[in-house]
Amino acid sequence: MGKAKVKLEKDLLEKIKKYAEMSGYSSVEEFITHCLEKEISKLEESDSEEEIKKKLKGLGYIS
Amino acid sequence: MANINRREFLKLGLSAGSLLALGSPSDMVTKVSGKQETHKKVLILGFDGMDPHLTEIWMNQGKLPAFARLRAQGDFRPLQTSIPPQSPVAWSNFITGMNPGGHGIFDFLKRDPQYYIPAFSGAETHDPSKTISIGNLVLPLSGGSIENMMKGRAFWQILEDYDIPATIFKMPSNFPPVQTNQKTLSGMGTPDITGSVGEFNYYTTEVTELKQDIGGGAIHEVYVIGNRVEAKLPGPTNTFKKNKPESSIDFKVFIDPVHPLAKIVIQDHEFILKEKEWSDWKKIHFPMIPTQSVGGICMFYLKQVRPEFKLYISPINIDPAEPAMPISTPDSYAKELAKKFGSFYTKGLPADFKAMTHGVLDEEEYLAQDDTILKERIEMFEYELSRFDSGLLFYYVSSTDQRQHMFWRFIDKESPMFDPDLAVRYGDTIQNIYKEADKILDTALSRADKDTIIMAMSDHGFTPFRRTFNVNTWLKENGYLRLINNWRQGQEEFFMNTDWSRTKAYSYGLNSLFINERGREGEGTVNPGAEKEALVREISQKLEKVTDPDTGEKVITKAYVTKDVYQSQQLEQAPDIVIGYNRGYRTAWSAPLGRVDKKVLDDNMDKWSGDHCMDPAVCPGILFTSQKIKSQSPALYDLTSTILSLFAAEKPKEMIGEKIF
Repeated sequence: MGKAKVKLEKDLLEKIKKYAEMSGYSSVEEFITHCLEKEISKLEESDSEEEIKKKLKGLGYIS
Repeated sequence: MANINRREFLKLGLSAGSLLALGSPSDMVTKVSGKQETHKKVLILGFDGMDPHLTEIWMNQGKLPAFARLRAQGDFRPLQTSIPPQSPVAWSNFITGMNPGGHGIFDFLKRDPQYYIPAFSGAETHDPSKTISIGNLVLPLSGGSIENMMKGRAFWQILEDYDIPATIFKMPSNFPPVQTNQKTLSGMGTPDITGSVGEFNYYTTEVTELKQDIGGGAIHEVYVIGNRVEAKLPGPTNTFKKNKPESSIDFKVFIDPVHPLAKIVIQDHEFILKEKEWSDWKKIHFPMIPTQSVGGICMFYLKQVRPEFKLYISPINIDPAEPAMPISTPDSYAKELAKKFGSFYTKGLPADFKAMTHGVLDEEEYLAQDDTILKERIEMFEYELSRFDSGLLFYYVSSTDQRQHMFWRFIDKESPMFDPDLAVRYGDTIQNIYKEADKILDTALSRADKDTIIMAMSDHGFTPFRRTFNVNTWLKENGYLRLINNWRQGQEEFFMNTDWSRTKAYSYGLNSLFINERGREGEGTVNPGAEKEALVREISQKLEKVTDPDTGEKVITKAYVTKDVYQSQQLEQAPDIVIGYNRGYRTAWSAPLGRVDKKVLDDNMDKWSGDHCMDPAVCPGILFTSQKIKSQSPALYDLTSTILSLFAAEKPKEMIGEKIF
């Protein structure tokens, strides 16, 4: 897996460390990766995917 | 298509709603064929989900006198349901006289093996193949279409070959209705006008009620400014425009400053509702382009005026007077019923259980809605019965199924959702709907002459649904399914976090399990033939050994290997294993859409507390007939052969059933 360094404000990094630990992540990297992936997936997710989910979930047997 | 990824595939997704802008297909032939006057008549009442155990108890207590009369006159047996016992599968068995290996409907859901994406199994939509773009508009040059995916011939199509008339009222799995000149009205599987199984809209000022991403509806935040609410009612996607935006209609509500009532203004309708009052059907039109609009019908329910404003709008049903999608054969049949009775529920599963699940409608409100549905149906039954003088009449009731799903928790003290106070009030709800079924049967018995053979049947029975089992999580814990990131477990649907290169099996749908087969699945890992065969046996044997540590009970009574139990014509799309759950157990809520929850087993904390997607052996249906039944253990597909035999019609070789008389 490729590695890259990202510069963050010291205050922000402290907060990230604090919340990563509080939320039970094993490392700061894992927490940041999770947050970024979550945001990217929101952007990537097409209307059609949401539309399909919405339609299927209308079936009483599924939620 | 082979080079696109899963997300791109999804972006190309077709929706039934996108077809709406194209209008209904060309008018079908309006001539109703099957004109032979038959001496013998067959009347079949289909009560969805009616359970033989409950029926027998209440019949023996004298609470179901018409069923008791029919049993005394003829016969009563539990009716073998389908594998799995899901309504679309079971009714397809009945319609075609085959099992899923013949008709190709295996589950509510199917999956695209190339991209591991689920879809409804019943109908497929095809966008118009030719369009022209003018500015922001996309105009179709050829029509789109909707295709019923059920294979084989329906029994009323075969009767038509012999000129035997048939009226088929609301048959599930018959959407779009199969091509015929018999009178048929489509049933379960018929969407609302957005192309979904039903999307309610709920407008509220109460912030605590606002939930996002709920299935089956949308909750909209509104503001009351100067006793006035302004909002939008969303409609189908506008396929005439680029990017297919969602259409909508603006409406206004004027709240009486003193009394608990409000005036609603939408298009050319202006009507006043009191608090807790339902409107009648309102016809509305979603404008697409200046020359085209899509019509539908909906009901309004003013739940509360103050202190918080709450307005519910039912899913927008296809208008039977001007159907935007094919819902009847001939095309004129739905219009004829609409002319005689006015608007009526056309959506497949009409009662809004999702609104109840999300707390938008309470028990009383849900029952009020379902009472309306039942009343509409009974009026139409009496009409059809009054003109039934030849051939076959099939009539269907959905309320028996829908009320058992939602009210089982009040007759099951072991349900995690049992509420003793509500049980006092709603403990009789299921018994009451059985009594309504009895009244319908009584009407049929009182009108039938000596030449009429009567059958009252159901597609499956019912059992409690107390515990959920996530088979995908079980597969993961047993090394058959691998995640890309374990810490994301439970977060995503559609198996988005699944490492297919190390996955051997997965489950989509309510009972279906698939092997990740090389050459069939997009990223298959298991070789077809001996390797797959051994894996199927291994997994099915392990599943049958799963016990619930909380109760000590077996979770799965039988894992059916489909190649052993299905006929072979349509096996290509079949799941490899059908999971038969024990009484009280069912697949977890999120597993059918490919989510790997953190827990394998959990309590079912949903109002949806009765179910039937279990082992067919634990939830057979009912069969009452006015003649003695020779078969000890009749099955749904036996009824199809019996119908053909009663009218001396030849049974096609694909039909596997035997006549029961």
